[in-house]
Amino acid sequence: MHAQDLLKLIGVVIVVVGIALRLRTTLVVVVAALATGLVAGLPLFSSEGFFQHLPLLTKPGQTGIINTLGRAFADNRLMTLFIITLPAIGLSERYGLQEQAANLIRKIRVATVGRLQIVYQLFRVLHGLMGIRLNGHPSFVRPLIFPMSVGAAQASGSVPRAVAIGSITTDNSLATARGTDPIEKIKAANAAAENYGNFYGQNLSPVQAGILLVFGVMQGLGFTVGVWDLVWYTVPVVAASIILAIIQFSWLDRSLGKAVEVKQ
Amino acid sequence: MMASVFSLDAVYVLTGVVLFIFAWMTFADRTNPRRVGSGLFWLTLGIIFAFGSLMPYWLTGLLVLFMVALDGAGRVSRGAYQSDQASQAEHARRLGNRIFVPVLAIPIVTFAFALTFRWLGMDANRGALVGLGFGGLAAMLACLKLTGGGARALMNEGRRLNEAMGAVNILPQLLASLGVIFTAAGVGNLIAQGIQQIIPANNLFLLVLANCLGMALFTIVMGNSFAAFPVIATGVLVPLIIKPFGVNPAMAAIITLTAGSSGTLMTPMAANFNIVPAALLNMRDQYGVIKFQLPFALTIWSFHVLLLWLLIKVS
Repeated sequence: MHAQDLLKLIGVVIVVVGIALRLRTTLVVVVAALATGLVAGLPLFSSEGFFQHLPLLTKPGQTGIINTLGRAFADNRLMTLFIITLPAIGLSERYGLQEQAANLIRKIRVATVGRLQIVYQLFRVLHGLMGIRLNGHPSFVRPLIFPMSVGAAQASGSVPRAVAIGSITTDNSLATARGTDPIEKIKAANAAAENYGNFYGQNLSPVQAGILLVFGVMQGLGFTVGVWDLVWYTVPVVAASIILAIIQFSWLDRSLGKAVEVKQ
Repeated sequence: MMASVFSLDAVYVLTGVVLFIFAWMTFADRTNPRRVGSGLFWLTLGIIFAFGSLMPYWLTGLLVLFMVALDGAGRVSRGAYQSDQASQAEHARRLGNRIFVPVLAIPIVTFAFALTFRWLGMDANRGALVGLGFGGLAAMLACLKLTGGGARALMNEGRRLNEAMGAVNILPQLLASLGVIFTAAGVGNLIAQGIQQIIPANNLFLLVLANCLGMALFTIVMGNSFAAFPVIATGVLVPLIIKPFGVNPAMAAIITLTAGSSGTLMTPMAANFNIVPAALLNMRDQYGVIKFQLPFALTIWSFHVLLLWLLIKVS
């Protein structure tokens, strides 16, 4: 390895330092991208097209950093597609969606915050099994799972009934009030249940992107692996993810319960 | 005709239009201390969404830099929105469980599109994305009909959620772009080479450990296990473990992939899974989701090391 090569890691360093210093993340990422590209000797713009006569900004035959940035950003618009669901979710919230989700769960006696997360995680593993991959944070977690979890916490007394659910997600000032700490834990658990179920469940179907990626890469390296073999060998990992989640979410229930005892 | 209506590009244009409306309302929003900068930010994102497939890449790249400059200069902020808790509770009583219909329409339409695409022999994952777009649209219509709130209220509520998240929204797309530039610069090969130089080639356990560690670390850097897998498989897994030890390639490969998923749980670089949800739920701590996931991620990562090692040993 040469010093020139090690210099390419400057982007990684910029990201780590930038995040540690809590600088504005968008800026940190773009600076890291530009620095990495420039250190690797890539030009700012491609040599074909609009900038072809500008000698300092282009190099013959090489794709420019800005072109790569624009292309990757456009190709990945699917990651931000959830914006189109926001108007319906927002208006439903204004008309009591979160209150009603909480009302519903308060009627179920055995529902606890932890148990609800496990049920939701299994529901997401089932999606994986059916070969459907989606991002559940905007479509399930925010509008349904979070208010249901708060409802379950209110039923058990770890969150006061007086806390209106709508205000927790709309208004940051309320979250800083004393005694709403359990809410932060519940929010984190909601997102985690979604990620656990999604990440480890998605390899349970041979049509899923992860399985197809592994199949393709291994074939490129000279090994033809069976897609069903891949699915089979992911089963122990799925089982471990569910068991670990059950342990973690039971602990969450216990710590929320302790918060109640302290108050009383 | 049908093909172009039910395409990903149609859904991108639709999202672009929603962003144009958000931008227009933000420009007129006197409660927002930075309404011009914020409006320009969402307008630019709308342009990229609506015309990203037509514009030359250098132009999209410059527009991205413009958005990041706006955010970097602190010109993107949110307006003030009132919420009326009493009326929400009253609406909840009046509408009952019917209030779930619009929100449930989103996943139902998504599934329906995914299944229809697969049935027609097309890419089901693409179908799910197109379905998400049309599910959002169907939910808007259902919501308007059910609640009787007007189109203006609909868009204003959407804008409320969008502004609460702010510039974090575009972070996943930026990070994906950073990953592409890392790959173009050869950062992945560098990490694989580093591992090859450090690890003794005859100790199976250390090799398995290095393989899983490399996968997790590279995923932490790239924010994406799918980007890390080809690099680690090519540089470490196949030459140092599968070939010399005659290991079952399917078993070793899939366990290596999910060892990377443990890394995804730990990194802010996987913004769409860890940072955007924190913003979506209005968490105080941007890294609250990662902190919660950390003990789980470390435990399941250790499990991957032991599982891979044991399965090689017993075979």
